[in-house]
Amino acid sequence: MADKIKIGTMWLGGCSGCHLAIADFHESLIDILELADFEFSPVLCDTKYDEIPELDVCIIEGGIRNDENRELAELLREKSNLVIAFGTCAVYGGIPGLGNLHTVDELTTEAYINSVSTPNDEGLIPNEEVPHLENRVRSLPQAIDVDLIIPGCPPRSDVIAEAVLTLLKGGTIELPTTNLCEVCPREKPPEGLAMDFVKRQMEVGKPEDDLCLIAQGLVCLGPATVSLCGAECPGIAIPCRGCYGPTAKIVDAGAKMISAIASDYRVGDDKTVDPEEVAGQLDDLVGTFYSYTLPAALVPMKMQKGGK
Amino acid sequence: MAEEVKIVMFCCNWCSYGGADTAGTARMQYPPNIRVIRVMCSGRIDPQFVLKAFREGADGVIVAGCHMGDCHYDAGNYKLDRRMRIIYNLIEELGIERERLYHDWISASEGEKFANTVRMMVAKIKDLGPSPLKEQIEA
Repeated sequence: MADKIKIGTMWLGGCSGCHLAIADFHESLIDILELADFEFSPVLCDTKYDEIPELDVCIIEGGIRNDENRELAELLREKSNLVIAFGTCAVYGGIPGLGNLHTVDELTTEAYINSVSTPNDEGLIPNEEVPHLENRVRSLPQAIDVDLIIPGCPPRSDVIAEAVLTLLKGGTIELPTTNLCEVCPREKPPEGLAMDFVKRQMEVGKPEDDLCLIAQGLVCLGPATVSLCGAECPGIAIPCRGCYGPTAKIVDAGAKMISAIASDYRVGDDKTVDPEEVAGQLDDLVGTFYSYTLPAALVPMKMQKGGK
Repeated sequence: MAEEVKIVMFCCNWCSYGGADTAGTARMQYPPNIRVIRVMCSGRIDPQFVLKAFREGADGVIVAGCHMGDCHYDAGNYKLDRRMRIIYNLIEELGIERERLYHDWISASEGEKFANTVRMMVAKIKDLGPSPLKEQIEA
C-alpha cells in the first residue's frame, strides 16, 4: 500500500539491545504494521547505506562514537521527516559514554594491545578501512536535530509500541515529568530520604521489604531519574542505576543526585556529623552517578592536562 | 587580557557577600580576576553550578558561606560542606585539579579574609595555568 507510513530504524554507537526491544513488540506489531511499514532496518531487512529510502519516521539507537556513526546520523536526518532518539545511548550517550574518561589512544591500546584475549604480537592498531573513533562519545542530539526522545536501556517494549502507535495515529507524546519515587511502590520514610550510611548491595543482603532503599543505605538513583520505567528495579529490591536518564528539569543527572545524597546524609545530626563521612563512603563517583549520562553531563569528558 | 585567569565565586547573601561589601567599603585591594555570583544561601549551591562554571571556562571556583552556626537558615552551610567534599572527589575523577575548587567560610565582617581568600586563590590558579576544559569540550 502506497499510503502507509514509512518507518526506518538504525543502530549507531549502541549494543542493538534497543532493536531487540522493537523485535519484542509482540502483538502490538500487528497494529503498527496496519499503519506503517518498516522500510529500512538493519535488524529486519538487508540494508545498504546507498539505498536509504525517504522515510517518514526514523528511529535511531545509539550515540555518536565514530565518524561512520556521524555520517549515518546526518544522512538519516536528511532522509527523514521525524527523527526519534531511541534508547539512553542515543539520548544521553549511555554506557559507552564512560569511555569519555579515557583518550582514544588509551582506548585503542587497551582494546587491541593490552587486552589479554587479543593476540597481537606486532602491536598493530587497525587504522585502514575502519571508522575512526571521535575524540569522545556524543549523544545524538549533540550531532543532529532530534524531534523526540525515548530514553531507556532499553526502553520498555510497551512504552515504545505505545509511543509509535500514538505518533502513527497523529497524536502527541509527552514524557512524564515526575521522578521514579513518584511511582515507586516502596514506602518513603516520614523524615525524607535521609541515609545514615552508604552500603553496597552485597553488604545489605536482602533489603527490607516495602521500605525505601535509600533509607536502607543503598544508592538508588530514583530521585533523579524519570518515571518512564514504572520503578521496576526498586520494586524487586534492586537500586535504580538511572538507566532512563534524568527528568526534564535536571541538567546534569549525576550532580543532582550527588546533591540529594549529600544534603540528606544523616540530616538529623546535621551539625555534628563529620562532613567527610559521606564523601569517604562513596567510591567511583562517575561510575555510580554517571553510568548512563556522562556524554550529556555538564563536564562530559575527563579533562586532559595540556602543556601550560 | 587573554592570559588572565577567571575565577567564579559564589557568595551567600548574608555573610560572604557582606564580606565582599566590607572589603569594598574599606577599599581593600584584591586582584580583579573574580566574578562574584550572589546566592541566598550557600546551601543553595548545587554541584551543577560548580560544573557549569568549569564547563563555561572558569579556571577556578570559590564557594563561600557563613561560618558554622551562623547560617541565616540554620544549617544550609553544613549541607554545602558535605556536598563540597564529594564535588572535590568528582572533579578529580573528571581530570580537573582539586586545587581549582575551594570553599571557605567568610562572615560579613571579614573583609580582610575575603580579600586574602581571593588573593590566595588567584595565585594558586595562576600557578596551575588556565583550565583547558572548555577548549577540549568544544574541540
